[in-house]
Order: sequence, then structure tokens, then C-alpha cells
Amino acid sequence: MINDKYANKIVDIIQNFARKSSLWVVAYGTGCGAIEIPPTMTSRYDAERFGIRGSATPRQADVLLITGYLSTKTLKRVIRTYEQMQDPKYVIGFGSCTINGGMYWDSYNTIKALDQYLPVDVFINGCMPRPEAVISGFIKLQELIKEGKANGAQKYKENLEWYRENQRKVIKNWKMPDYNW
Amino acid sequence: MEINWLKVLGILITPVIAFIVGVTYGGLTRIITARIQNRFGPPVTQNFWDIVKLYSKKTNIQHGVMQHLAPVFAITASITTLYFVPVIRESTVFTNLSFQGDLIFLLYIMVFGSLGMALGVGQSGNPNGAIGVSRGLSQMVGYEIPFVLAIVAIMIQFKTTNLNDLIAMQNNFNHWIIFQSPFAFLAAILAFLGMMGYAPFDVVVAPAEIASGPPSEFGGKYLGLMMTSRSIFTFAKLTLFTDIFLGGAGDFVTLVIKTFALYMIPVLTGIVNPRFRTEQSIRFFWAWPTVFGILAVLIVVW
Amino acid sequence: MNLEKENKFAKQINETFHSAVVKVQRERRIIVELRSDLIPPFLSFAKEYLSFIHMAHYSCVDWLEENKFELVFMLWSYEEDVMLIVKTKIDREKPEFVTIKHLWPQAETYEREIHEMYGVDFKGNDRLGEFILEDWDDLPPMRRDFDTVKYAGEHYFTRPGREDAQDVRETIARHSGEEIPDFAKKYSIRRDEE
Repeated sequence: MINDKYANKIVDIIQNFARKSSLWVVAYGTGCGAIEIPPTMTSRYDAERFGIRGSATPRQADVLLITGYLSTKTLKRVIRTYEQMQDPKYVIGFGSCTINGGMYWDSYNTIKALDQYLPVDVFINGCMPRPEAVISGFIKLQELIKEGKANGAQKYKENLEWYRENQRKVIKNWKMPDYNW
Repeated sequence: MEINWLKVLGILITPVIAFIVGVTYGGLTRIITARIQNRFGPPVTQNFWDIVKLYSKKTNIQHGVMQHLAPVFAITASITTLYFVPVIRESTVFTNLSFQGDLIFLLYIMVFGSLGMALGVGQSGNPNGAIGVSRGLSQMVGYEIPFVLAIVAIMIQFKTTNLNDLIAMQNNFNHWIIFQSPFAFLAAILAFLGMMGYAPFDVVVAPAEIASGPPSEFGGKYLGLMMTSRSIFTFAKLTLFTDIFLGGAGDFVTLVIKTFALYMIPVLTGIVNPRFRTEQSIRFFWAWPTVFGILAVLIVVW
Repeated sequence: MNLEKENKFAKQINETFHSAVVKVQRERRIIVELRSDLIPPFLSFAKEYLSFIHMAHYSCVDWLEENKFELVFMLWSYEEDVMLIVKTKIDREKPEFVTIKHLWPQAETYEREIHEMYGVDFKGNDRLGEFILEDWDDLPPMRRDFDTVKYAGEHYFTRPGREDAQDVRETIARHSGEEIPDFAKKYSIRRDEE
């Protein structure tokens, strides 16, 4: 009964619905894009309608929102934050800086493509994306979760060697704890 | 020994009812907060889906045995508290385990959850959690004093320590203890504000200062257990206050009306208030609520 | 335009420091250029006697063509509402200067930043360690001979699709028909010529 195919399917549907309707975003703003989050969360755009809520620590969060450029120093903290989050977890790349570097394409201290270092489920482009775009990105993520396609965390685990290699290339002095998640 | 199957049934379904009511109240609170802030707000079922999601998360945080046990302590304390509170007046199913002296027992068991959490958080080693625990326990010292004074005043006035006796005494509208002993009610309801942990007494879980405090190292299933425990505990406390001051409830509709009215006091206070620091909230509790509590005792003794 | 107080300051400075080149730029702006070894006495003179008690900013300019670094101090007088800009040039090959943190404690932070971004060594400041950049092992990045495009291309993954990115200076020069100086050409990306 427990391993019954249909029973598992029903459990999956319920779980995916619950995960979709309750997305907790870890309150960690990495770049200038973090200023778009307060209007998204407050009265004007009210992201709480869709069950999107801020959470204070990575332990409680589901979504890691990379808001804008990532300097190598911040990347170290972001990787640690990401690895402390509990499965299932999702990453949203926010702004053109996470896609191809944006206006920091020639900077000596910012990475240019986020998906080389962390698995990204949804990209929101724009510089900056307005709150409408942010909410539409979240709804896209909800659709992916509902269909069971938002499996970035699984990708990260399976290709951990490749991601680690890229991360070590940027972070020269690698002093990170190992998480056995 | 004869087993009273109706009582067994009551014991089985009371936590379920408490959970459903508590979660719905939580959802309603979020909607009310949103409306006051000129927002649309999440659906009523939002808290329920949050809890289901938290239970469905894979959880792999390893700090030690006490850390695993802390949410269990919390939920044990909540359900035990609930079992000793009569939910429906003169009903075989829902009087639960109420016995002679249960008021004193409740005073103790309501603290148990917080102490268990304190032990677990201490082992997780998170500095934010430790700060949150120290704030929470200091604040508890603040609100326990007026609360105990109010309960003691009632125990002296009515010469009983049994909740069922108290409920039976308040069989008429004008026999409610809120009218017979208003100072005790004032002291208890002000302590209740602190007990519920809404603003201005939410310095314990202040998310912007100490990253949600005690639960900061607890994610996934642990947090799910804590939220469940919080919902049940909310219902237990509301029912307790209804039983003591508002004459209990004869049926579920009355119970929901009375508890919801009581619940709105901390919620609405919380929405319009900023946050007290720990020493400010202790100063608050040791000022007027304690004076009201002492007045209640003095009036009864004279 | 009434330059009375500015001229009064300029006169006082010239009387005490004969080698100082003083220029009153406009109202509330005095620019002083000075030899680098006279800077600490001059700053304490400006602070103690000329009422410039607030160090508003402390920065560095890279004069690659002259092979010099220029240190710039901005001091403000609350009594007279005048800003005093003090400039001095130091050697670029072996950039060394003395700390002024005994005059203004906040200078320590500025010196740490200048040390990290330009590689200037401040004698007497013992906190010149890692400041903002972590694990930096290349040339100090704000020096003009540091090629940031090359560095970024070598160290960070570049997603294709940015080939049409243009150098701002060249685009402006092309539109307005300006000549780009020879020394500047070395550091621009001439994508259209490649």
C-alpha cells in the first residue's frame, strides 16, 4: 500500500500543491535588486496573495532569490546559504546581472553567469525587473513546481563535482564547511 | 475497570479540532492583518498549506538529541494543556481529563513547552536562538506574575481549583467571572497579550533583529511541528480563558464566537503596535497588570 | 563674487608654507598643491590654526603618464564654510606615504581602501590588511594599468551574446569626432578593429 504507484502519485500531487502555494523566500538581498522586494511584499503588489512570504533564516526557506550582481565575496556566502537550506529548494536569478553580467560585465569582482555556480530554476530578466515581473517569475516557478519540474536542487546534487569545480575557480581560498544534506 | 469510550473518543478528536480551529484562526489573522495594511491577503487555508509543506520538506539538521526533542516537547506541552481544559460545558466527550486542582496543574504545564524549547535551542548553538530564548524567558517572568495573581484571586474567591466547578458556577450571563471579578480579568487579559506573543510583545521572535529567534535553527519538519503546536496551544489558551472568565461554552458555535472575540484582543493590539524591548515589556507587566492582580486578591480577601 | 575669506586663507597658507601652490578656484573652494613630505605638518597646521577640523574625504588618483599617484585630501571648515582640497604627488613605482590617522582617526579606513585599491603603503598604519576584496592576488584593481576586461574574461565565465558591447569612450568619441589620446587607446577595447 505504501509503495503503491497510485498512492505515491496522490501524495506527490498534494505535496506539490502545498509546495507551490507556500514559497518562503530567504531574506537575503545580494545586490541593488533587493530594493524591488519591499514593494513586491507590501501593499502595492502584495505577494502574500500567492503564499510568498519572507523567512528570516535559510533553514526555514524554500526560495533563494539572487537579487542582482554577485561579487565573489558574496558568492561564498550565497553558496553557504544555499547549502544550509532544506530540500526542496529553488533558486531564482533576478536581473540581467545573473544572466550575463549586465552592466557589470567587465567588472573584476563579479561573476557573470549565476547558473555556472548554482542551479537556477527561473531567471527574471530586466535591470531592474519591476515587481510585476518578479511576481510573474514566482508564478512561473509555481507552475514548474506543480508540474514537478523545478528540480534544481537535484541537479546540484547530481552534478556537485562540476559546480564545485566552477566555484573553486572563483573562490580561491576555499574554506567552506561540508554540509551532508 | 470500565473504559469510558466516549472519553477516549474525545481525547482522540480534541487535538484535531484544536488544530483545525487554531490553523483557521491563524489564516484569519493573516487576512485581517493584510486588510488593515490595505492588502488583499493570502487565502484562509494559507497556514494549513504552510504546515503541509513544512512536513513534506526533507529535513537534515543534526545538532544533538535535545535539538530533535525540542519541538516534541513543545507539542507535548500544547496537547497536555489542551487535555486538561474542558472544551464544551457538561459534555462527556469534551470535558477531557479535568480534575480537582487542574488550575494549578495548568499553571505549571503551560510553561513546560517554552522550557523544552529553551533546552533544544541551547543545543543548536545558534546565537540568535540563544538571544531569543533569554528574551522569551525574561518576558515569561514578566507576564506570569499578573496571570498567577489573577488565577489565585479567582481560586480564593470561588474556593475551588477545578475548572469544571468554575464553569458550573457561571451558569448565567451575570455570573460570569469577568463581571464578578473584573480586576482579575484585566490582569489576566493583559498577561494574555504577552502569552500570545503578538506585538508589542513579539521581541522573542523578532525576524528583523534576531532572525526569528528560537526557531532560527529549526527548519522543515521541526518548524512544522512547532507551528502545529502553536496552533493547538492558541486554541487551548483561548478555551482556558473562555472557561475561566466567559463561562465556558455549551456548544461549538458559542465556543467559536467567544474564543474568536478573545483572540481578536491580542491580534488587533498587535497590528497597531510597534515592538517593546524586553525590559520595557517586563516593566509594563510589572506595573498595571500586577497592580490589577493585587487589587483583585485584596478585594477578595477583604 | 566675494572671495575675501578664501583669499585670507590663501595668504595665511602662503605665508607659512612658501612652496605651496595655492589656487582659489571659486567660492568655498581652495586647492593647495604641496610636496609630499610637507603634507603631515600642513594638515596639522590646517586643522589647528585654520579651523579645517573635518576630513571629509581622502582619495587617490592614478597619473599613469607622469608615473605618479596623487593623494587628495578634502577638509572642511565649519567656522568659515570653506573646503580645502590638498593634493600631493608620490612616486608610482614604490608608493609610500605616512599615515595621518593621528590627526583624524577615520583616515585609517580611507588608507586601508587606498592600500587595497592602489597599493599605496602607509607607514604607521598597522591595519593595512584585507579590506573589501577577499583573496585578491593580482594588481590592485583601481590602477589604470590593470586590465579589468582581460581579468574578467580570464577568471569568470562569459556567456556569448555580448559581442556587440561597445566601449563608452570610443562610442562618444566616434559620435562627436574627438581624437582619443594615444595613452588612452592602450586601455580601450577596440572591438571594431579586431
